Amino acid sequence: MKTRTKFVIGGAVILAVIIALSVQGLQEMTVFFYTPQEVLASPSKFEDKTIRIGALVQKGSVEWNAKAIQLSFNITEDGNEFIPVLYDGVKPDLFREGQGVVVEGKMKGLRFEANQLLVKHSEEYTVETEQKKNKEDYYKSIQAQ
Amino acid sequence: MGSMKKIILYLEWGSILGLLSCGLWVFLKLPIETSQGFPQKIMYLHVPSVITTYLAFFVVFVYSIAYLWKRELMFDQIAKASAEVGLVFCALVLITGAIWGKPTWGTYWVWDARLTTTLLLFLIFMGYFLLRMSVNDRDKEARLASVLGIIGFLDIPIIHKSVEWWRTLHQPSTLFKVDSGEAKPSMPPELLYPLLASTLVMLAFYLYLLLLRYQTEKRTDRLNQLLAETQV
Repeated sequence: MKTRTKFVIGGAVILAVIIALSVQGLQEMTVFFYTPQEVLASPSKFEDKTIRIGALVQKGSVEWNAKAIQLSFNITEDGNEFIPVLYDGVKPDLFREGQGVVVEGKMKGLRFEANQLLVKHSEEYTVETEQKKNKEDYYKSIQAQ
Repeated sequence: MGSMKKIILYLEWGSILGLLSCGLWVFLKLPIETSQGFPQKIMYLHVPSVITTYLAFFVVFVYSIAYLWKRELMFDQIAKASAEVGLVFCALVLITGAIWGKPTWGTYWVWDARLTTTLLLFLIFMGYFLLRMSVNDRDKEARLASVLGIIGFLDIPIIHKSVEWWRTLHQPSTLFKVDSGEAKPSMPPELLYPLLASTLVMLAFYLYLLLLRYQTEKRTDRLNQLLAETQV
């Protein structure tokens, strides 16, 4: 075989591997997390696989066990369907009810056991004076559900 | 030449004083943001660096096209200078982003689309300088670098739109938020105006660094030219 042919074949193989890896990586990258609906729609697909779910912390669902250093709460997107989450670890600073979070872990039956809890804050910035108004809006939106 | 020196001097002192007063403004005068608290203040370094990075690589894009079209060495010198400064600001974006991420998200780094494409931009322009260093012929260097500079810039619209196109941990745009066709930055004026001021100051700082680097680049090329002539 000519040296040039070898180079062409070798180059093609390397290129194919690079493309395959980037397509796979791109899929993972573009969907950083699943929604609760997606996970609940096909539980068998996600069973025992390490995944990330992004949603809001349901109001009134947060329970903090200081002795066991365990945090449990429900995550929801629409207020109807929710997934109970159990997280072994301390509460992040920005963690609160109604807050967007991304949890990483595994579905164990109907419960999600998280080993990482990330807070997904919004692009809205406010100062003290606006806080009250926003809080009121939030309570109204919860009551409307 | 004298006027250029003057402009550089003005930009130098303007950005020094501007950065200093923005820093004082942000830390001493600004109200604490409600949900994030103190860590939100790094926004005044992070966002101006982002916008400066965008502009710096846009300048690379424009002057790379200009070089390929006109083959004027000056255009390549400007593109090179801007890429260098852009790379520094891009590093600043990644570093300030990580520092901001830890207290708010709870992590320095995730492989979401926004962060990954920003890292990609940094790596592309690291490659850009490796490419320049590996070519000995000045015209060939300019030609190849121009092509990579144009391709590299195309990552920026992807970075900017990544938070809309894909699911990311990074929040959508605050400053460039558009609500029913109207620009509506989602922050109160007392937080917004200092951000705009810091951005202007950062752009002045960029311009200062760009002109300084461009002058050095021009002299280096001239020197190499003279050396080549005397050796013949």
